[in-house]
Amino acid sequence: MKFFGGASALALAAFLATPVAAQMPGKFDGVTIDAKLIGGQQYEALYARIAEWEAATGAKVNILSKKNHFELDKEFKSDIASGTINWCVGSNHTSFAPQYPSLYTDLTALIPADEIAKFVPANIGASTVDGRLVMLPRAQFDVSALYYQKSLYQDDAKKAAFKEKYGYDLAPPKTWKEVTDQAIFFSDPPNFYGTQFAGKEEGLNGRFYEMLVAEGGEYIDGDGKPAFNSEAGIRALDWFVNLYKAKAVPAGTTNYLWDELGAGFASGTIAINLDWPGWSGYFNDPKSSKAAGNVGVVVQPAGSSGKHTGWSGAHGFSVTESCPTKEAAASLVWWLTNEDSQKIEAGNGSLPTRGSVWDWVIAQAETDPYKKEVLTAFQEAGTHAFPVPPLAEWIEISNVVYPELQAAILGDKTSKEALDTAAEKATQVLQDAGKL
Amino acid sequence: MRKLRVSAPVLLLMPAILVIAAVVVVPLILSFYSSFTSFRLTKPETLFVFIGLRNYVTVLSDPVFWTAFGRTVLLLTIALNVEMLLGLGLAMMVDRATRGQRMLRTMMMFPMMFSPILVGFQFKFLFNDNVGLVNNALQSLGLTDQAIPWLIEGDLAFFAILVAEVWSSTSVFAILILAGLLAMPREPIEAARVDGCTPWQTFRYVTWPFVMPFAYIAMTIRSLDVARAYDIVKIMTDGGPARRTELIWTLVGRIAYSDARMGLANAMAYFSILLSILFTVYFYRKLAAARTQIAAEW
Amino acid sequence: MDRNSSARSTRRLLAFGHFVGLFLAMTVICLPGLWIVLNSLRPAVEIMAKPPVWIPQDLSLDAYVAMFGRVGQGGIPVWDYFRNSLIISVTSTVIAIAIGMSGGYAFARYRFRGKSTLFLGFMLSRTVPGIALSLPLFIIYARMGIIDTHFSLIVTYVALNVPFTIWLIEGFFRQVPKDLAEAAQIDGCTRWQAFWAVEFPLAGPGIASSGIFAFLTSWNEFALASQLTRSVNSKTLPVGLLDYTSEFTIDWRGMCALAVVMIVPALALTFAIQKHLVSGLTFGAVKG
Repeated sequence: MKFFGGASALALAAFLATPVAAQMPGKFDGVTIDAKLIGGQQYEALYARIAEWEAATGAKVNILSKKNHFELDKEFKSDIASGTINWCVGSNHTSFAPQYPSLYTDLTALIPADEIAKFVPANIGASTVDGRLVMLPRAQFDVSALYYQKSLYQDDAKKAAFKEKYGYDLAPPKTWKEVTDQAIFFSDPPNFYGTQFAGKEEGLNGRFYEMLVAEGGEYIDGDGKPAFNSEAGIRALDWFVNLYKAKAVPAGTTNYLWDELGAGFASGTIAINLDWPGWSGYFNDPKSSKAAGNVGVVVQPAGSSGKHTGWSGAHGFSVTESCPTKEAAASLVWWLTNEDSQKIEAGNGSLPTRGSVWDWVIAQAETDPYKKEVLTAFQEAGTHAFPVPPLAEWIEISNVVYPELQAAILGDKTSKEALDTAAEKATQVLQDAGKL
Repeated sequence: MRKLRVSAPVLLLMPAILVIAAVVVVPLILSFYSSFTSFRLTKPETLFVFIGLRNYVTVLSDPVFWTAFGRTVLLLTIALNVEMLLGLGLAMMVDRATRGQRMLRTMMMFPMMFSPILVGFQFKFLFNDNVGLVNNALQSLGLTDQAIPWLIEGDLAFFAILVAEVWSSTSVFAILILAGLLAMPREPIEAARVDGCTPWQTFRYVTWPFVMPFAYIAMTIRSLDVARAYDIVKIMTDGGPARRTELIWTLVGRIAYSDARMGLANAMAYFSILLSILFTVYFYRKLAAARTQIAAEW
Repeated sequence: MDRNSSARSTRRLLAFGHFVGLFLAMTVICLPGLWIVLNSLRPAVEIMAKPPVWIPQDLSLDAYVAMFGRVGQGGIPVWDYFRNSLIISVTSTVIAIAIGMSGGYAFARYRFRGKSTLFLGFMLSRTVPGIALSLPLFIIYARMGIIDTHFSLIVTYVALNVPFTIWLIEGFFRQVPKDLAEAAQIDGCTRWQAFWAVEFPLAGPGIASSGIFAFLTSWNEFALASQLTRSVNSKTLPVGLLDYTSEFTIDWRGMCALAVVMIVPALALTFAIQKHLVSGLTFGAVKG
């Protein structure tokens, strides 16, 4: 090693870092790790790195299964049910992790503490269930920021008209109240809509949950009881109801999930769109989006309590409790989430979960103003991020709550009625699960 | 030698019995058992928590289930009838075509090549209220200036699902009825014409009785296969919004896997099986009756 | 004279109506399919355009190139899926036909107790929805260690298709006069030889039609395949469609391209044997 001049500090840092890294991939000759990984284009570029891990450690990886997120969830549950957990490494997600309490092992014992410290603390927090670190997050961190069409905010006639009507300047919104005003102002159904929202399944429940938090409410109270049928809850749900009533969102929005929302904004017919980082490239690519070149991104707005929305989730990898070669499995998990791996994924446009990789991607985007805008907005968005309540029954609760939310949005029930029924059903779910 | 002959049908049927027992009957017994437990996927030990008829009580006292049940019956009844009518019309038109029969028959079966989940995706995009083809076409033609919320309004969503279902399954009726038309002897029709029957009378009293058993076959096949609609509905609306298009199968699918409450889901599934069995037995009986009639006339 | 010409014009009107009706019907049937083909060739910006782009501006084979390309750049293991689909569908169809022939023959040629109950029982086994079967099947297969193999799907599809093949083929064998086979036996053939020489050839169309139904069912089945397959070892094309969806995005163009790859072989096969199919259905199922 060379210790000359300005390079020495850097080399020293590298030197200090190496012992851990050298420890980390380790040597596992003859070990075979069976893995179940999430499939799909966005996630698979990373798996090219597996061959390098095999070369470095002498172990083999055998990919048993590659499926999309929801299919994988089904498979894990089926495995637990049939008692056939004979594999070691699985893809995981912070929103789903609490559902498999006994499936995965605590990684704190297997990964050096200083390695864990290199991740963004909030991401590690979200990966921890009942005090156990059940997964290491990869560079597929998801939190939503606000995309908008820039040209709408540069039109002088619109600016004047808006100021006249609402009494403040037209600018990308900072609060959800402003979003409502602007969405109604921009809407011209059926050709153009102010905004849109995920209208079903966990998507709607998640959006409601973050709005509830931004309005100062809580989903589950300190005693573990559903508490979303509060004043704050009604305010949060009314946000959706009012936009729907005012026809400021497409009429079909209660059947929309992420794909329709993305396609909608890309079609250039939506003014403001709260959406995930995965779409940023798509929205600004003339081959896929009419809004290309006209897309702005700002941090997601705040609710009346001053808190920002920020429902978030992260993909990651876990090691099963029943794995006989946990060290090797943990090494693979570490490898897939280490700095080089995160750079590969973040380079493709997803958000990293390590501090150093955040710095790296922002530096990379220096020459690309759009990318820079996106990353800055999402980095700030990340500081407001919070995961879903750590309940094994989260998805099950979502499934009883969202039809009620839809009923309120569509006008079948009032917000209060809908939330009361939903809370009752959610309580029942928790009771059936022996929680209350 | 003699002994061997007696056991011949058993021998011949053995493979069929074995494979159906292994793939259908045994799993069915297992899921039947689990419908009496509080089985949750994520807690395998609950498979042995016997709770008697509680799941069934829960299911039968749940208005959500009964609404879904009623909607399923309604959807099936309308879908099967519409499919039969359209299939009949299509088959008669293709039968009368003088040229390009081979091509037409293949085209007629085109929707059968589509995997149901593909049909689901396809119609979800077609009926999208904002950028979907249907609304775009209606707006371009000046028929409406509204964005019609196809998949949202209860009746429209039901209609959209019906269209998808009918599109994907009319072929089965058409091909079977066409088979009937092709097999039909020409003389009775000629005779009817000579006797001065109108085309409607010819159809009503000569063609239809002949083709009817084929329609019942198609009905039987389709009612065996109704759960096929699950894939379509799952992708198009998944029972939503606000349960406006909930069918038994979407309900069962969600409770089984997403909620992981397999025991409860199986109790529901048994009801949907019962429904299929009723439909099937009904049509099979009709078929048997029509068959004897035809056999007598030939 | 007058009557004649009016009759002729009525006939002409009918012919015209028939043509228009047929044309409309075929349009409705084919349009969604053509729309899929078209979508596979257009960039997403045109597919989801508003106002709509009716005349394609920018056609390319990009989606297909990407599909066969490298993983991570839009590639998915199409060849593996295709191979799995083909092996599973063909094998299960062949086995279902063989079992259908032996079962159909038994029903057509022998009398035994509980015959009609058994027959109805076979049919009713089809009424069990995939969703009710999928988990118990999974548990059993997982315990046997045959998850994610061709074998598990083949067995499953055979069971799904056997009731139908038996039904169709049985009708056919019944159609063949008993005397014919008996005559052959008198001529010195064994029952086995008589079957192959006399009865089997006559059952050809029935076998073709039950074959295509069985093939299409296996080729397109999704609910069970998604539960019983896991990786490129056994994933079939319908399951592969989901490779184009991720948690928050969907690549509709790519999905359309894969759909075309799925539909073309099925279409070719149907076109090739549709003639037998029709006559097969004619005799097989009804006369009995």
